[in-house]
Amino acid sequence: MKDRRWEALVWLGPSLVLIGAVVFYPVVALVGASLGRYSITGLFQGWVGAANYARLLAEPALPAVLVNTLVWVATIVSVTVGVSLALAQLLNQPFPGRRLVRWALIVPWAASLIMTSKLFVWIYDYYFGVLNHALLRLGLLARPVDWLGDDATVMGAMIAVGIFVSLPFTTYVLLAGLAGIPGEVYEAARVDGASAWRTYGSVTLPLLRPALLVAVVLNVIYVFNSFPIVWTLNDRNPGFGHDTMITYMYKIAFKSALRDVGLAAALGVVNVALILVAVAVYLKTVRWQEAGA
Amino acid sequence: MAVRRQKRDGTSKRWPAGLLAVVAVAAALVGACERSPSGGPAITVVIAEYSKDHTRPFWQALAEQYTKAGGPKVDLRIVDWNSIDQQVSTMIQNNQPPDVLNLNSFSSYARDGLLYPADEVLSPATKNDFLEPFVRAGQYKGTLYGLPILSSARAFFYNKDLFAKAGLAAPPRTWDEFVQAAKKIQALGGGVIGYALPLGPEEAQAEWSIWMWNGGGDWKAGDDWAINSDANVRTLGFLADLANREKVTQVNPGKTNRTDGAFQLFKDGKVGMVIGFSPLAAQLDAEKKVNYGVAEMPTRAAKAVTLGVEDYLMAFKKKDNREAVKKFLDLYYQPDTITKWITAEGFLPVTKTGLERMRANPKLTPYLDALPNARLVPTTDPAWDRVKLDVQQNLGLAVQPGGNPKQVLDQLQKNAVAAR
Repeated sequence: MKDRRWEALVWLGPSLVLIGAVVFYPVVALVGASLGRYSITGLFQGWVGAANYARLLAEPALPAVLVNTLVWVATIVSVTVGVSLALAQLLNQPFPGRRLVRWALIVPWAASLIMTSKLFVWIYDYYFGVLNHALLRLGLLARPVDWLGDDATVMGAMIAVGIFVSLPFTTYVLLAGLAGIPGEVYEAARVDGASAWRTYGSVTLPLLRPALLVAVVLNVIYVFNSFPIVWTLNDRNPGFGHDTMITYMYKIAFKSALRDVGLAAALGVVNVALILVAVAVYLKTVRWQEAGA
Repeated sequence: MAVRRQKRDGTSKRWPAGLLAVVAVAAALVGACERSPSGGPAITVVIAEYSKDHTRPFWQALAEQYTKAGGPKVDLRIVDWNSIDQQVSTMIQNNQPPDVLNLNSFSSYARDGLLYPADEVLSPATKNDFLEPFVRAGQYKGTLYGLPILSSARAFFYNKDLFAKAGLAAPPRTWDEFVQAAKKIQALGGGVIGYALPLGPEEAQAEWSIWMWNGGGDWKAGDDWAINSDANVRTLGFLADLANREKVTQVNPGKTNRTDGAFQLFKDGKVGMVIGFSPLAAQLDAEKKVNYGVAEMPTRAAKAVTLGVEDYLMAFKKKDNREAVKKFLDLYYQPDTITKWITAEGFLPVTKTGLERMRANPKLTPYLDALPNARLVPTTDPAWDRVKLDVQQNLGLAVQPGGNPKQVLDQLQKNAVAAR
């Protein structure tokens, strides 16, 4: 019996090593770094306990960055899921060229985020950008807008790109969900004389619930952790006024006068905790509604 | 049992394959640390990527030449400027510093006791060949640690066609002439911009240094920071007025970077004046789109000042690497070698022999003439590494509509004094 258990361990071994190396070790290293003091060069200078966390809470930019992050995640995820529901419905209908449209939808997802972001930097450009050009020609704007330089528009411009790159994945998850709904239930609804909207609200949406749940949870995590879009589109703006928690963390570590690996690691730990709590709260709320319904 | 299962689903075949892969990776890792046949453990050389075309080929060839001449193997890493701070910091954090590092700062590393003094890793002939300003700018507490790898100097670029259209005969010498010129060019209309002012985070400290010095101010007064001196407040106010009162700059100068902002506009022929450097000239010459001239900076001071920029090579103290590092550095500083690279990248020399050789190219004359008088930012103070980032992140706020130059400079001064 005993050697059987060993055998199991051998089979599990590679995955355990992998989990240890890519999940467990980084977490330990991150928490460890958050408890240390580092020179600007990266040289470790001793343990400081929770001092980095205390300093983090005292950072004047933190509240604004938190609000930015909330707006960033909530807007992108809600709009993305809304639009994706419609897109998935459309792509679930048979029409000529459907296969082509389905393929085309993957493109924004397949392209590297940095490339997409750079592309949008040029689209939004005040002098050369195609967006200003088009809006001016259409008479929708009286004068060009500095989309990425104007404090009023930069967050919206970044969110638009965030939605653009999140749509493919979300649409495909929902499309898979739609494909999993058996035809009989629609037939039953038709026999009962339900209208199209009634069918959608009472049949499609409830049965899509598992797919929606997956789409929302994964999107919240992806969007929260998204770095390239904000980093690239916001690189011209001074200060931390349009940063999210992730770009703020990078700036603390390497690009601001703070240049402090310990402080950035503390923020990293806070980020992981935040996202775990957010997802837990979301899942709890959803289940609770399910039980109540 | 095991045999039967293998026949059934073949899974146990996968495990030995995985094991093999692990062994192979481990062997490769061990191999990397092994002594190479000729001379000791491999050395790690980290070089910033100045250009896609020239940086890697040059250093690759140098590394091969070095190993062939009896040196150890070179683990060469070419890193782009955007991520080099992060990568180097991570290497040091993990206690695996490079042996030779190329960066735009050095004094924090010297302060942390990570570097060899120049005397221990350079032959006297090499050290004596360095140009005087770069010897001064590489010292931490009186000892040379930061070795010059290359330099550049900024110069005032103007669009000759736009100047002619606006009826301007010559580039401006004073700030009053500068404002008049900018206004006349801006008045040409059609999206033409008088002066492209990049005070966004990419290189705000460079643009600011030049204006600051020509306005009679400086970063420091003696050993103390003087960022919010009266002269500097006046100069930053002048720049803010260019943007918001005279309206002769591009939109949002506090949020415009150099490479994809100001330079791009100048290369497109939209801009009358910009502060550029020799690589910009090389691009303009290649594109042949803009008829430009290079002149001295307009100034309020007695004599026009420009910014010289020095990048550094550093030798990290590690066990038994001194001889290998010394050999490598001496190879780089061979007059032919260093001049070949600096010429290819379009930068300026750091050695006396290099200066002589590069005189052969008349196009470089304005920069070479400026070089001995160019001023450098205070990289010798470790606090500068933080001050620079602070200026990059915050200076632009002062020239935005409603910005307050004095308040911004006061805050920068306060942070500089507190920086450790």
